[in-house]
Amino acid sequence: MKNIVSELMDGELDRQNVMHILEAIKKDRELQEEWKTYHLIGDTLRQSSRLSMNISSSINRKLKAEPTILSPAVSSHRNESSSSSNDRKQKYKVFAFSIAASVIAMISGGVIMNHLYEPRQMMVAEQSIQDHSFSATPIMVSTPPTIHRYAHPPVEINDYLFVHREFSPGITMRGHVTNINSVPEYHERYGR
Amino acid sequence: MISRKVFALFFLSILCFQTASAQELSRSTESALAWLTKMANAPRQYNYAGTFVYYADSHMETSYIAHKTDASGERERIEVLDGMPRIVFRNNDEMKCYLPESRKIYTEKRWFRKFFPDFMPQPVENIDDNYLVKEIKRERIANREAQVLMLIPRDSLRYGHQFWIDVDTGLLLKVSVVQGNDVIEQFSFAQLRVDHDIEVGEVTPDQAMVSGEWKTTNLIAAILNKNELRWEITHLPAGFKKLVEMKRNLTEKTTLVDHIALSDGLATVSVFIEPIAKDAPAPVPGFFSSRGAINIYVRTLDGNKITTVGEVPVETIKLIGDSVIRQN
Repeated sequence: MKNIVSELMDGELDRQNVMHILEAIKKDRELQEEWKTYHLIGDTLRQSSRLSMNISSSINRKLKAEPTILSPAVSSHRNESSSSSNDRKQKYKVFAFSIAASVIAMISGGVIMNHLYEPRQMMVAEQSIQDHSFSATPIMVSTPPTIHRYAHPPVEINDYLFVHREFSPGITMRGHVTNINSVPEYHERYGR
Repeated sequence: MISRKVFALFFLSILCFQTASAQELSRSTESALAWLTKMANAPRQYNYAGTFVYYADSHMETSYIAHKTDASGERERIEVLDGMPRIVFRNNDEMKCYLPESRKIYTEKRWFRKFFPDFMPQPVENIDDNYLVKEIKRERIANREAQVLMLIPRDSLRYGHQFWIDVDTGLLLKVSVVQGNDVIEQFSFAQLRVDHDIEVGEVTPDQAMVSGEWKTTNLIAAILNKNELRWEITHLPAGFKKLVEMKRNLTEKTTLVDHIALSDGLATVSVFIEPIAKDAPAPVPGFFSSRGAINIYVRTLDGNKITTVGEVPVETIKLIGDSVIRQN
């Protein structure tokens, strides 16, 4: 069966077989994983500019599981006589770099704010020709609000979706509304 | 010594920011735009039939499409093969949607049609204003050679798209709607036959299906002239233009709903405005999300409910929904 999934990915099946295997994939969790894996492998082998699956959540989980490593304490083997002069140098370094960082931060802030709020505020720099990913995503006005699930979405929204499909590709495939986020929460979170 | 390092760091940072801020957006190449034009024209030039898969939010749905084009125009059958049966028949701008389980038929005149793989029924001339179109590479999809195009949004008001276009015919074989590095939704042919004879029976309802009692609802829409509607969108987001203003009935409602459709050439947004009925429960203002790229925003204004729906980020939906005002 796994071989047939592979043939499906390669577009080598006729319609009857495609229907058969898609039906089987929907019912079998293992085959669904196989389908995802083949997509991922295919994209990787083709060096696709975009992988089919979102693996960020699993990476996030792993990152969260990683222990936090704190900076080690200043070593104690230095002798007493040199420690005071070293401390002064250290303080001077920290002070100098703090000022430099503050100046850079102010200039950066100024440049960024200037870009955000001038008439062409939405424009973003072109991505490099070599970089075929969307990593240089334009800056969002703000982060989208967290979506919360409510038990009963208003039914009329499905009517609107049905009508909007004239303008939107494949809306018949998109199913019904599932998630709701309340306006008060948005205002609370973003202050507007 | 330290101060030299600090100054060097300082000037280097300024140089970096100046370089970044001076970088100009390039325009899309003629060659890349020509691929889009070829893609937009292909559905009107070829017969095709195949099975495609819609994938979003770990949900997969399979549909069958048969498309016939000849001297009488375009006819099409799209059948959703999973879940509740839905079959759409299109004869040029007339659409009939059959829901066999509830034995309902919805009929409607369609001025715009966007079904995969016909993603761009509108002219492509304004696309470059809102998206940087890039040719990426060739890949194989559904056993056909495809040119990969990337449409990078020029701002944060819309999603990015990646198209896989059949090199021979220009038909769209696969499309991904993306935000940053995330694929929000994806359509892809798993199997496709192009330019063979398609019988009329394949793109029209058969007698066995239409026999018996069916409840037919005609989704009438009346196109309005400019400023005929009592509502106005004061601040259209950059690149969005009004496609049409109309009054239309919804599936189960007796009162007409005001409907304004907007597009940036690729993404579309609909604004629905209707008075809140006195005996109806108060509408729930908020953000809703459907599967895939669709976002929804509901607000109320002077006893009316304003619902904004579209395949754009939630911020864009809010910008549009909040700029709806009543005309004096």
